[in-house]
Amino acid sequence: MSAGMDGSAGEPQPPWDAVAGLVRAARAGDALAMDEVLTVVTPYVTRLCRPIALSHCEDAVQDALTAVFVGMRGLRDPQAFYGWVRTVTVREAVRVARRTAVEQAVDPDEVARLRGLVGVGDAELSAQVRDVLARMPVHHRAVLVLRELEELDERSAAEVLGIAPGTVKSRLHRARSAFRKAWQQ
Amino acid sequence: MSVDTVTRLRLLAAGLHTTLYAEERLELPYDKVWAVASDLAGELPHLVPLLREFRVPPGDADRKRALAVGPLGCRSAFEVRLAPGWCLMQSRLVVGGMAAEPEGDGTRFAMLGAARPAALRPVQWAYALGGRRSRAFIRKVALRAALRP
Repeated sequence: MSAGMDGSAGEPQPPWDAVAGLVRAARAGDALAMDEVLTVVTPYVTRLCRPIALSHCEDAVQDALTAVFVGMRGLRDPQAFYGWVRTVTVREAVRVARRTAVEQAVDPDEVARLRGLVGVGDAELSAQVRDVLARMPVHHRAVLVLRELEELDERSAAEVLGIAPGTVKSRLHRARSAFRKAWQQ
Repeated sequence: MSVDTVTRLRLLAAGLHTTLYAEERLELPYDKVWAVASDLAGELPHLVPLLREFRVPPGDADRKRALAVGPLGCRSAFEVRLAPGWCLMQSRLVVGGMAAEPEGDGTRFAMLGAARPAALRPVQWAYALGGRRSRAFIRKVALRAALRP
């Protein structure tokens, strides 16, 4: 199942080391550097927000970017920018999704549609995948994004979401088993 | 997904913690509004108080170096980024920006100003006229755009 969620794993990541220099300049009030940071970071923030916030992705991206830019001045270590952006973004995406979505339990019949996830890059989520993800609790989507797309370990995913590692484990288990059933059918 | 130019300028305003930011819908077509905003040499001295001249090299380059000349002849070098619906200008001391997006028959237009040195930020915050000044700037842009043939 990991192959499906990792459909975009080969995608090149932004040049984070180069961004550290831009972040330093941006924190000192260099608007041109800030603009370049925005260019680099927007696709990454969008990639994280899309599977969590779904149809409210645009709101989540704007809220996440605002939180990133407002908070950037307080970031002590520019080298930690990547992980910090991930944390801020996932939290904002979850907040927007919870504010806007009516959560429903996953219908087992619908899980079969997740086959559509195989080979799907992160540029767009297919309508089927979007539909099934929309029926998952927001925190399951967030765990899937962090563990499968971002390949974080349980402890790191728990830190990002502010929950216990055991909770990450149980949520991931339920989400993964849903995917597994889909591919075994 | 990429953010539109007005959202982009709003994000920079948040990052710069500036109070000198405003956006408004103008009942004028985008092309007319942006013709004024992007004519930096011709229009900026009419839009910005105490700016006598803004020298920009000709051409369509998206990155330029410009020279602002104040009323007493003092000069400041500016780095300029210019693209459709987007203008960002920065000197050692100040940042200025404009953004525009078509919105139906009209245009959403935004402007940003900020002081760069950390020492000037409290002055900037205390200067409560930020919103009023930026809205006055936008009104001037609209007036000059409406006057264009």
